[in-house]
Parts: sequence; structure tokens; C-alpha cells
Amino acid sequence: MNSSNRANNTDERSNLIHREILQLVLLITVAVAAFFVTRAIAANNRDMSLRDAAEWYQRGQRELDAGDADTAIDFFRRATVKSRNEKRYVLALARALASKRQDEAARKALLGLRESAPEDPDINLQLARLAADRQDVTEAIRYYHNALYAPWPTDQADARRRARLELIRVLLTHDQRNRAMSELVALSTDLPDEAARHVEVGQLFSSAGDSGRALDQFQRALRLAPDSGAALASAGQAAFQAGDYLLARRYLRNAPEDVGSVTETRELVDLVLSNDPLAARIGSSARRRRLIDDLSYAEERLNSCVESHPGGQPSADELALRDEAQAFKTQLAPSTLLEEDTIESVVELIDRIERDVVQSCPSPTPRDRALILIGQHHGVDPR
Amino acid sequence: MSTPSSRAQQLRLREHQIFLILTIVIGVVAGLAAVLFTVAIEQTSHRLFGLAPSRVRLFVVPPLMSLVTGLMLAKLFPDVRGSGVPQTEAAYHLSNGIIRARVPFGKFMTGVLCIGSGHSMGREGPSVQIGAGLASLVGQWLRLSPRRVRDLVPVGAAGALAAAFNTPVAAVLFALEEIIGDMNAALLGSTVVASVAAVIVERSILGNEPLFHVPAYHLVHPAELIAYAALGILGGMVSLLFCKGLLGLRRLFLRLPGSTKNFEPAFGGLVIGVVLMYWPQIIGVRYEYVDQALNGGLLLQTMVALCFLKLAATMVSYASGNAGGIFAPSLYIGAMAGGAVGMVVHALAPFPTADPGAYALVGMGTLFAGIIRAPMTSVFMIFEITQDYQILVALMVANMLSFAISKRYQPVPVYHALLHQDGVHLPSPATQALTAARTARHVMQTDVSLIPPDVSVEQAWRLTLENGAPAYLVGTRDRLMGSVSHQQLEDSKNSGQGATPVGSIVDQSFVHAHVDHPIDVVLERFAQSGGILAVVSRTDAHRVEGVVTIDSILKLAGRRSPSPESHPTAAG
Repeated sequence: MNSSNRANNTDERSNLIHREILQLVLLITVAVAAFFVTRAIAANNRDMSLRDAAEWYQRGQRELDAGDADTAIDFFRRATVKSRNEKRYVLALARALASKRQDEAARKALLGLRESAPEDPDINLQLARLAADRQDVTEAIRYYHNALYAPWPTDQADARRRARLELIRVLLTHDQRNRAMSELVALSTDLPDEAARHVEVGQLFSSAGDSGRALDQFQRALRLAPDSGAALASAGQAAFQAGDYLLARRYLRNAPEDVGSVTETRELVDLVLSNDPLAARIGSSARRRRLIDDLSYAEERLNSCVESHPGGQPSADELALRDEAQAFKTQLAPSTLLEEDTIESVVELIDRIERDVVQSCPSPTPRDRALILIGQHHGVDPR
Repeated sequence: MSTPSSRAQQLRLREHQIFLILTIVIGVVAGLAAVLFTVAIEQTSHRLFGLAPSRVRLFVVPPLMSLVTGLMLAKLFPDVRGSGVPQTEAAYHLSNGIIRARVPFGKFMTGVLCIGSGHSMGREGPSVQIGAGLASLVGQWLRLSPRRVRDLVPVGAAGALAAAFNTPVAAVLFALEEIIGDMNAALLGSTVVASVAAVIVERSILGNEPLFHVPAYHLVHPAELIAYAALGILGGMVSLLFCKGLLGLRRLFLRLPGSTKNFEPAFGGLVIGVVLMYWPQIIGVRYEYVDQALNGGLLLQTMVALCFLKLAATMVSYASGNAGGIFAPSLYIGAMAGGAVGMVVHALAPFPTADPGAYALVGMGTLFAGIIRAPMTSVFMIFEITQDYQILVALMVANMLSFAISKRYQPVPVYHALLHQDGVHLPSPATQALTAARTARHVMQTDVSLIPPDVSVEQAWRLTLENGAPAYLVGTRDRLMGSVSHQQLEDSKNSGQGATPVGSIVDQSFVHAHVDHPIDVVLERFAQSGGILAVVSRTDAHRVEGVVTIDSILKLAGRRSPSPESHPTAAG
């Protein structure tokens, strides 16, 4: 009796379970259908959000163009809320924030975006700029390098070069000359045939103190655009820095006077070339005359400098320089033979007098500077 | 050939498998409902307010829409006001998990309209009620046993919360900590399965984006823990302010005459409309402002203003009887309070500190722990929402302080206090553990005689004099008003109030017990009662189920006294 009851119960339960399975299958079917319906509705909602985001972005751009960065920030924020991972919106927001000096907020916005695209060049570039603005050179370099070595689209080679130029400027601003030189050398091998680009790079080489490479870039620019005033002026300056005064004069004579300090440099170059007693291809009388003129000028400057001292009394060094000058004057008399050693010693004395003058008296004249340059050019060791 | 017992074993196994599949399906359904609820709120908000609403629109939309939802809530869906979490708890503990079909559907519609029309409320609480309701409906449709139907309620709730917040672990903890009230519940496995299923569904539809984008914050200096502790204390105080304010304001609304029920949500809408005209940042859920606070994008004065405005707006929206939760507002208020504290600390602290965003993050958890009173859920929710565990120690310190302060000065958690206001009393965990022991059920008399409230004091006094009882209950069996003692009646009679109805002198804050209260609780309360203890229903504190008097206690003592058979020496 008990076993038949148990069997009946089991059958009943079995029937119940079969019914439950059928109901479950029906439920699963409904759930699957509901899934697709919900997905379609959510997709529609997402499209709506994206449209709203685009609208906020455009409004933000309009406000930014109109100069209202605060409102633009608010609109860009709304755009980023609606479409969180749209790079354009976050970058626009970061730029607007940076323009209002809200660098930290801009940085956070970019870092959030960078999480999803760590190699994106634009994001890294923006982060590098923010780091550079807050003088964090290490982080700036890191982000610039992330940007430079990111996979850039092929049509954005120029943007990549501009990023490297930015990095070089940051490095030069922070006295990281060697790193700047490495970047410059890398950049110079990757330049397009555009005079302006070569001039730009040449100027950076000049700033880094490499006049030779700078001159090379300016000469490349001149080959592409022989009449380029900027290239001529820059080439003249670079040749002047490199001590090639003849070449400098050639470029500076053709350079427009309104570019940079062309007139001043040209005057200096002319003074160097016309007063250099060690210049090649001049006769001995001309050499003697230049030596006498330069020494007289230096002595005259020394005397006037001594007079301008309080009390008008020369120092022991100045007295020694005066005595040396007097001694050499007799050796430079037309009757005496002008020996090579004498010439070099006079040039060296002129250099020492001029350095003393420049150090102890204000307002050096162009000729003072020219005489010092002559000494430098001929390897005089300033003691 | 299988024997009946082995076949029964197989069937039992099959039953377990079906339940497992059912939890997955319920997770999916609850997840879909939560996603649909979120999307529907966004669509409604967009359609009602447009891209950049004018001030007039911001002012007009909330009260107008609340007129509609007010009628719906009063006439069609009276069980779906407010968050939905307390109702879900009540359904689980008091109704064997039975939730009527109109609840999830009504909650969906009214929740979408209330939150979408700008009320300062959250979508997570309603999602919990919708998920739990759907789970219960499925259980009822499948004609599962009452225990199984009951078990499905926290499963559905966990699934919906997991999808609403994209936080599977916190959803499981919430279901155990808040809905079931037992962290060691046997339903752990089912809630985990449903949570995971719901989150998979949610992510496959909305993508795997954390709710907030937060930079990696960490403790910058050990001394910062002091600042976080201060934030915990402040968070506890703000939580208290919110809970007390919400309960007080709701009490005022509940005292209004029944005829105003249709229009109370619209009154709330009117207040919200006025606030939105000047501070549209508090409209609806508005997690984007939380995101801004987390990323240091808000000014100090803005955060302070938004903290208090959101707090006040949420109290008004909720207390006026609209449908929406307090999860999201508590996170919002916490982020603003934390961000503001962070800014002050950042500016004044003599040691290096984290960004104000880190404090906003901890502030979110702090307010959640203080208001919702689920500290474990809070810690895991913040971790999952932000996907950042660097700040966990600071979060735990602040959470615990906030939780302790809130618990000290508001002993009844806000969800339970809201239920109390509706006359529903959930059993405490201790009561649940003692259900098998002797309870009020064993001691009470079910034959209860009450004094009708319109009887005069004089008549009532005579009645008590004749019966010799020290006190009587006043009211009807379904509408208990309170209790009155013989001494009270005598005093009233002597002071010339003999003709006044006894209902007017009754003590309405009467001590009471519930049928499942253990005997020691019953005795303790009887001692406070003045001679008569009403045993009332948990779902309606005015419905009398029995009464405990000195006689019934003595009777129980008599039943429990040693019998002559078991104690031969006494017999002998």
C-alpha cells in the first residue's frame, strides 16, 4: 500500500516537473525575444545619445569660437557625458579647460580617455602639452614619445613632425640640449622638401648651439627657395655663428633688412672682415695698418674706460695692459720687420684689452665686439 | 529498472536543476527589465525636457507629470510608491514572496514617469522591486512551492540591482544583507547565478562601461586617514539629516487627509519644478555630476549647494509619494559632500593629500553606508562602480564611522522606518532565528474584546470596574486605536470628561508585540504595557491578532509547570 502511494506521488511529481519544463522553455523563448527587443530599444537610445552629444559638441565649438570658453566647457562636458569615449569631444573639452588654465581637470579628462586608447597620438600629445605647461619635463617627454611612436595614420606625417618640433622646443626651453639634438637629428632626416620646414629646423639647430647643422638646413632651404629672405637671414646668422664671416656676408648682403637682426649682424661681419689683421690675402702693409688701428682703438677704449672709473685711477692689470700696448706700438713702427709672433701677440693683446673693456665698462661698441670676435676666430686663448 | 526511491531521487535532482535554470532565466529577465527601465527613463527625460530645456519647461514638467503619476499611484498602483526595497523586504518576510502582477508593471510605468519627469530619485530601488516582482510572478506562474516563490524574490532583486548598477558582487551582498537580512543565507548560490546572468545581459546590451570614470586614487599620506575619518563623521551626520528629514516630512504627508493623496506627488513636483529652474543639476538621476565631482570638475561652493539641494529635493520627491529610490541620491549627496570635504582638506591639510575626487569617491560610500545601512554592500558597490580598490582602507574607515553614527542616532534603518510608517513591522534577525521557540502566538488569547471608541469614558470606566482588568484595548479588531488603563479612565472621569468618547483620551503610541516575537520579548513588553499587550499584524499594525494579559501568562506558566508524572516527588 505504502509503495503504491509512493509510486503515485512520484508520478505526480514527474508530471509536475514535465509541466515546469514546458513552462520554462516558454519562459526562455519569451526572455530571448525580450532580449532582442530591449537591445533594439537600447540601440535606438544610444543613437539618440550620440546625436545629442554631436549637438552639444557643435554648440561648444560655436561658444569657443565666440570666445566664451566657460560655456564651451559646459557644452563639451555634456557631449562627453552623452558619448564618453568619443575622442573629439574629450580633446575639445581638454583644450577648452587648458585654455582656462584648468590643467588638472583637462589632464583627468584625457587620462580617462587614454585608458581606452593608450597609444592614441592625439591624447598623448595633449597630455604632453599639459605636462609641459606645468613644467613637468619628464612626463612631457614620456607623453611626447608615446605620441611620436604611436601608430600615426599615413596622411598625418606632418602632424607627427610638428609634435616632434614641439618636443624639441620643450627640451630646449628646459636646457635638455643633448636630447634636443637627438630629436633634431632624427627630425632633419624626415623633412619634406619645403624651405620653411628646413628654416624652422635650422633655427632649432641654432638654438641648440649647432651652427654647422643649422647652416646646412638653411642652405637646403636656399636650394629650394633661393630668394627666401628668412633662409638668407638665417643662413647669414648661422654662418656668422659658425665663424664663416665671408659666407655670412654673402648671405646677409642679400637678406632683407627687416628680418631679425640682419643689419646689426651685417655691420658686425663687415667690421670683423675689415679689421682682421690675420685675414688671408691681404698685404703686409695692410696687415700692419690693421694692427696699429686695432691696437690704437683698443688703447683708446681702455683709457676712456679708466677715466670713467670712480677716481679715474687704473687698476694694476690695466696699467700692465697700457704698458704692453705702448711696447707693441714701437714694434709696429713701419721701419721694423713684422714677424708672425708679433702679429699674434698683438692680436692676443687687443683681445685681452677688449675683454677688459667689455667687462669693466658698459655699452660695448660694435667694433669692441668685432675685435673680440677676431680674437675668438683666430683661437686666442682668453686668460 | 529503477525503484520508486531511486526515481524519486532523480526527480529531486531534476527539481534542483530546474531551479538552477530558473535562477538564470530570472537573472536574465530581471537584467532586461533593469536595462529597459534605465533606457525608458532616459527616453522619457529626453522627450519631456529636450536637449536644453527652458526654465518654463523645467518648472512646468514635474508638477504636470506628477498629476498623472499621482492619479496612477493613488488609483491603480498604490503599492509602488517610493523606493520599492522596503516593499520587497516586506513581501519576502511577510507574504511568502507573493507579489501581485500589477506591482512590477506599475512600478515600471510610474518610476519611468516620476524619474523621467525630473524628480530627484534613483532608478535602482525601483529596479529591485521590478526584478523581485517579476521573479515572484514567474514562481507563481510555475506554481512553485511557497518556499521556492519566496526564494526567488531576492534572486530577482539581486539580478535587477546587478544590471542597474553593473555591480554583480554588491547586488548579491545587498540581497543577502538587506532583503534577506542574513549574510549566511542558503540563497547565496542562486543570487550569484542571477547576478552574473543579469550583468552579462546588461553588458551585452549597454557595453562594459563602469558607471563612473575615476582616476586611480590612493592614500597619499597615512595622516589622510584622519581626514577620511572626519568625512565618515560628517557623512554619518548628513545621513542622519537625510533619514530624519525624510521620515519627518513623510510623516507630515501621511497625516494629510486621504482626499489629498492624488495631488501630493504633484505638490512634490511643484517644489521640484521651482528648484530645477535655478539648479537643473539635481534633475532625476544625473550621474554626470557625480562623475564631475569624482574627477575634480566642480567648485567647492557648487558641491556644497548641490549636496543640500539634492538632499532636500529627494526628501520632497520621496515624501510626497512619488515612485523612485534613494540609492542614487545617496551616492550623489555623498559625492558632493565628500568632494567638498576633499577640497577643504586639499587646501588646508599640512600633509600631502589625494585629489578632492578621492574624497568624493569615499563620500559616496559613506552616505550609502549611513543611509541604506548596508556597509558591506557599500564597500563593494564603490569598488565595482569605480573599478578602483586603491582607496579601500579609507573607504572602510569612513563607512564604519558613518554607519555607527547613523545607527546610534537612528536605530531603525530607513527602509524599516518607512515600513513602520505604513504600519508594517519586519521581523528582526533575532526574531527570525527564534521562530521555532515559544512566541507570542503561544501565550496570546485570540478572543479579544475591545472598547468601541465612541463609548463614553464613564461607561468604559464602569466596564473596567466590573471586569477588574487593569487596562483595555480601544478600537475595533481591524482598527486598533490604542489602550487605556482603568486609572486613566478614572482620572478623566474625575476631571469632568465622563461624557467624552473614550477614543479621544486613548494612548495611540501603545506598546505592542507580533505573533512571532519570542516569549521574553513579550514579557518585557507586557511589563511596559500597563496590564494589556496587543498582538498586532506585521503587515498592518492596527489589526489585532490577539492580546496578552496576566491571565494568559499565568495559563502559559501553568501549562509549562512540571506535571505530576514527570516529577514523582511532587506528586507524592
